[in-house]
Amino acid sequence: MTATGAPRPLLEVDGISVRFGALLALNRLSLTIPRGEIAAIIGPNGAGKTTLLNCISGFYHPYEGVIRFAGRDRTHLRPPDVAALGIARTFQNVALFRGMSVLDNIMTGRVLAMRGNFLLQALWWGPARREELAHRAFVERIIDFLEIQAIRKTPAGRLPYGLQKRVELARALAAEPQLLLLDEPMAGMNVEEKEDMCRFILDVNSEFGTTIALIEHDMGVVMDICDHVVVLDYGRKIADGTPEVVRKDQAVLDAYLGVAHRD
Amino acid sequence: MIDFVAALVGPFRDIAGQPVFFVEVVLGGVFAGLLYSLVALGFVLIFKASGVFNFAQGAMVLFAALTLVGLMERGVPVIAAVAVTTAVMIGLAFVIERLVLRPLVNQEHIILFMATIGLNFFLEGFGEMLWGANVKKLDIGIPDRTFMVGAVQINELELTSAITAAVLVTVLAVFFQKTRIGRALRAVADDHEAALSIGIPLKTIWVVVWSIAGVVAIAAGIMWGAKSGVQFSLSLIALKALPVLILGGFTSVPGAIAGGLIIGIGEKIGEVYWGPLVGGAIENWFAYVVALAFLLVRPQGLFGEKIIERV
Repeated sequence: MTATGAPRPLLEVDGISVRFGALLALNRLSLTIPRGEIAAIIGPNGAGKTTLLNCISGFYHPYEGVIRFAGRDRTHLRPPDVAALGIARTFQNVALFRGMSVLDNIMTGRVLAMRGNFLLQALWWGPARREELAHRAFVERIIDFLEIQAIRKTPAGRLPYGLQKRVELARALAAEPQLLLLDEPMAGMNVEEKEDMCRFILDVNSEFGTTIALIEHDMGVVMDICDHVVVLDYGRKIADGTPEVVRKDQAVLDAYLGVAHRD
Repeated sequence: MIDFVAALVGPFRDIAGQPVFFVEVVLGGVFAGLLYSLVALGFVLIFKASGVFNFAQGAMVLFAALTLVGLMERGVPVIAAVAVTTAVMIGLAFVIERLVLRPLVNQEHIILFMATIGLNFFLEGFGEMLWGANVKKLDIGIPDRTFMVGAVQINELELTSAITAAVLVTVLAVFFQKTRIGRALRAVADDHEAALSIGIPLKTIWVVVWSIAGVVAIAAGIMWGAKSGVQFSLSLIALKALPVLILGGFTSVPGAIAGGLIIGIGEKIGEVYWGPLVGGAIENWFAYVVALAFLLVRPQGLFGEKIIERV
């Protein structure tokens, strides 16, 4: 599935470190995500997975190391600038605009693509009207794609958890991102919802060509849908490779199952 | 008992008997109500954009009015003084964003609220330090005289204020309901992090909103100042905006308009017709009683978003 012939990977994380007081959350971490693949970032709780995602999306800034996206250094950009580059994300604890309808949530996700004159927009007139309609059409496509037609008018805050996660994915997709970061997209879901979400992630990847990096605890899911797995423990990378390789890696087994003290 | 009922019902006979006077009373209520709406709108805008109740809105009205009067006392013509005051209020928005809001991104709402209390004291003190604390007369060239439309007496100053307020309120309502910025604003109010992650620049939104709140404060300051002079008590009109907000809903622009009108008209009618029954001063407490009733029955207000808590 990896695009061959691409000169550089889409995302390169090169030796980044993040410190919270005495805690070294990320310790000279390096990894690459090639264009077009689905990568998983796994590891025990507190391994630094979400910290890594927050660095990539600009919420945290590493004190050393470089993050390159499409070949350009963007280690110190702020979240809105990162979004403008084409990196969208979802959050571990669902961050939807709870008071807005599902449709408005997704439309808001398109805020970067909308560049029309706001005065014309206010008057619902001329080019602004055509622009709004074009955006609506794209948003409708996402709604169909994620099968959420039935809840389009519902305030997002009233939806059950599984559907909120799906709406959050829809909002991220509305920006037509090149790289999609999903923080535990399947946490707290039942088996059926997980299967749906897996299908959506695979479809997004194949249909929109979106590169996806996801954090997930469900190993079955990770092994099934990912091209590439990166394992973190205590802020370091302890394994990196295809699911088959990582599954048999001794360091990974130790991190997950614990090791007997040898001293 | 019969006397009491008669006293309660009597005013209705007066209303029916003197319709022209009743229209005048209602108009007076509409004028006052539009000004309440204008002040309430300042609160709603900031509340929508940051989920924060801006305690300093009243102080902003005072500060704007003081600056305007101060400039005019030094011989600056009205138009130029308004322009400079506008620039000052926009500058203030930038300073507030940089020094107060930005360091507090992602903090609890209560912390931002406390920050606006600090801002309130600062603006009151700073404004009076710059321009002095004595009562000043604000004369913007609109005569405070009445004319007749049919049998109804209308005050020119009140009418001008009301029309200006109505225009401002309409423009703002359209701006925030119909534009991309309006949607971005609601997004920021709901979730800072998520708004940032989809590319909404929090800084810009905050500067825009506080600037608009500053401009609204100028308008409110001019209208109230022209009626009753520019003085410290101007900052207290914020208190009158509170019941308007509770009535209309903290998040609703149409709610602020409707709430202001209901309170304005209600308190005028109450005062004029039922005032004698309780010894007057209904105008002073009517709004708060209405607000209290609403808090008990419909805490989200007439147009507010329903408060849903999942447990």
